[in-house]
Order: sequence, then C-alpha cells, then structure tokens
Amino acid sequence: MKIIKEAVAGTLESSDLLVKVAPGLPNRLDIHIRSEVIRQFGARIRSVIDETLGQLDVTEGDITIEDKGALDCAIRARVQTAVLRAAGNPPIDWETM
Amino acid sequence: MIQDTYSEYSSFTSGDLDWAIESFGDNPKLQPEITEFLQSCDLELDGNLADFVTVRSAKKLVACAGMGENVIKCVAVSPTLRGQNITLRLISDVTNLAADMGRYQLFLYTKPDNVETFSRCGFYPLVEMSGVIALMENSPVGLSRYCQSLAQQRQPGQTIGSVVMNANPFTFGHQYLAQQAADNCDWLHVFVVGENSSLITYEDRYALVCEGLKDLPRTTVHPGSIYMISKATFPSYFLKDRGIVDQCHTALDLIIFREHVAPALGITHRFVGTEPFCPVTRKYNEDMKRWLIHEPSMAPVVTVVELERKAQSGTAISASEVRRCLRADNFDHMAELVPQATIDLLRAKYFDPGARVATGTG
Repeated sequence: MKIIKEAVAGTLESSDLLVKVAPGLPNRLDIHIRSEVIRQFGARIRSVIDETLGQLDVTEGDITIEDKGALDCAIRARVQTAVLRAAGNPPIDWETM
Repeated sequence: MIQDTYSEYSSFTSGDLDWAIESFGDNPKLQPEITEFLQSCDLELDGNLADFVTVRSAKKLVACAGMGENVIKCVAVSPTLRGQNITLRLISDVTNLAADMGRYQLFLYTKPDNVETFSRCGFYPLVEMSGVIALMENSPVGLSRYCQSLAQQRQPGQTIGSVVMNANPFTFGHQYLAQQAADNCDWLHVFVVGENSSLITYEDRYALVCEGLKDLPRTTVHPGSIYMISKATFPSYFLKDRGIVDQCHTALDLIIFREHVAPALGITHRFVGTEPFCPVTRKYNEDMKRWLIHEPSMAPVVTVVELERKAQSGTAISASEVRRCLRADNFDHMAELVPQATIDLLRAKYFDPGARVATGTG
C-alpha cells in the first residue's frame, strides 16, 4: 500500500495513541515511537507496528506514533486507519488483516 | 458553520466539562471571552487565530487551544484544572480538527517552561528564545529533513552568502542586491519566501527570481520553505501592511536560520538591502544583526551585510512602488523599476484595468 498523502488517526488520551502517517523519503520507512511505557513495552509496541505495516504492505513513508499506553489491538487499529487514510482509502480484504 | 462541518466534535460533555469547537465567525461573544480568559493565564490573544477548542465548566471558560493556519497557540488551562491531562485532550482535538481541514504539518508556540508538556502531545522542540517563547512542530524529522536536503546543495568556498527575498514582484533592486552579494562571496544562496499570501503568487515570484538571476554566476536559487519567513516562523511578516511588529517572531525565524539553515549550507554572510520605507522590514534588518551576530549561540556567527538599495531617479526601488504603478496603470514608470519579464507577467496576469488590486506585502 502506497502512502500518497498525510493522515492522522487516534487521540492522545490515556490508553490510546495518535498515529501520523506521511510520505517520506524514497525507499525508506521511518518509524518514530514515543510512548509513556516505552521501557516496559517498547519492543512489543514496535513489533505490533511492524507487523501491522507488513500486513498492509507499507514499505515507504514516515510513521510517527505518540502512544499513551494503548493495548495491541488499539495500536493495530489506529495504525491501520491512519495508513488507509494516507493511501486514499483503497479497497481492502479485512480477512487478511 | 464549523459546527456543521465538524459535527462529530461539537459540544459533548465529559464529566462536568463541555468540550466544543468554536470560531470567532460563529460566535461574536467568543473573542472577548477568550481574551479575558487568556489574560487570567498571563497570555495574550494572537490576531491570527480563528478556530478554538474550548472547555467550559458551568458555562465558564476553563481551557482553550487556538489555531490559525497551521499554527497552534494560546493553549491555556485554568489553574484549578491542571494535572487532569486537559492539555492532552486539547491538543488531540486541535490536531484532529486541523487534519479535517487538511492541515497536517503543525507548529506550536508556547513558553519554554511548557515544552515538556507539549512533548507528550506529539510535538517536538524546534527553537527557543531563551526564557520567552519556544516553537515546536509535530514531526520529529521535519526541520532535519529540510536541512539534509539543503546540505546536498552545499558549495565549496570561504565566503558563502545568502539573500532571502519575497520579490513581490522581482525588481531591478532585487537583481542589484543579488549581484552585489554574489560579487562579494564564493557562492550565493538565494531563498524565495514560500508563503502564498502576497499579491504575486509564489510560483510566479519564484519563476521571476530564477529568470532575473539566471546569468548570475555561482548562485543557487532555492524554493521557499516553511522554516524561513513563513506564517509558522514569522506570522507578523504577512501582516506588515498593518505595521504590526512582533519581537518574538523575528527572533525565532532568525534563530532557525542561524542554528539550522546556515550551518546546513555553510552560510557565512546574509545580505540585505537598507530599508527606507517599511518599518517591519527595517526592524527585521536590525533584529538580524542581534540574532545572527551578537546573541550568544552554539551556532557560528552569520555576518549581516546591509547594502545600499539601488535607486531610480533618487528614490530607492521598492516592490510596493511597483504595485502602486500596477494599480495606477503606470507601466511607463514601472519599466524603470523592473525587468521586462516582470512587466510582461504583471500585464498578462495581475493587471485589471477596471478594478482596484489588493496591495499584499513587499
């Protein structure tokens, strides 16, 4: 899925996260994560994000995350929403997600 | 109107607090209410703001965040409500409101003491005027990406000059300034102000500068950027017809130039024309010496060189004079002030014999 414009999803409220997606440098996927719980769950958050981006086949772009202690399912949902918006809402097979 | 478009945000209650999106256009009582509230929090209302996220408790304003263009400002929370993460919700709502308006790259002004608070709201520090004001952006890579792209255009030499011009429109004065500057350095970088709020569109201004300087050796013309005299870094520049000068804005704009833009290109000098007419530009020139030379900084000094403006029959050439000629249908006089390409463009695209044309900024 190609990131063609900027998009955001989520909020900064406790147990949620704000995801910002933007077209970045060519052939680069840059992921920036700030989290209240980065020390406890940084690696886990990172792997959920990587996995979600992998399923959406995102290989290029700037992904900026401000996490407020969200659960994995919330992270997955917010990242998916932001990416779909940034890709211009293409049709998607949710079964594979 | 806002209420219709952004209905999903409009007034809903959480706890005892009413959250809403409001704008001055919809509610004439809002402006005095916000002004008074901000004063109680030691803040002043900024003239560029139009939309607000407001929080009321028993109909009394207890928190707000303002947005104008892509800048967030005047974020205040009543002392009694602090410590409840109201700021997070304010910034979250304002970020989503901005996104609905198609604004994603956001800037935020705050007091340096609050930088940490906003760092937990998705903002990253850009520059700071010590003890007075700080500018942040909602990207960890925005400014550094811009500087990396500039660094690719670095040129060798001892003396690397720079000129920043709005060129609204490009005159013999701009051409003369760039020539003089180029004569005095090993390479010259010319930046065209990127904001599209002048009479002549950015695309046209940029094209005329490129055309007017195409024979100048050892010179690069750079497109404008949001980090240099933009509505984010220097909002009052675009209000200069009203004579509003804001000390803080000139400072932040110049600190970005000295700490980030100049080092990326190895710029050692910045050339400006003397300013006989416009008080905002004159003030900017004076502030330039303070912030680029005298103020202590980790970044090297950028020497400011003021060059005498080119004159035509005794009067310094100014873009505002050219715009007056345009309004008065005085193309003969204009021909003494600007290159042929500027005349051709103005006549073809900006001259309306029947109408008065808005002034715009210089």
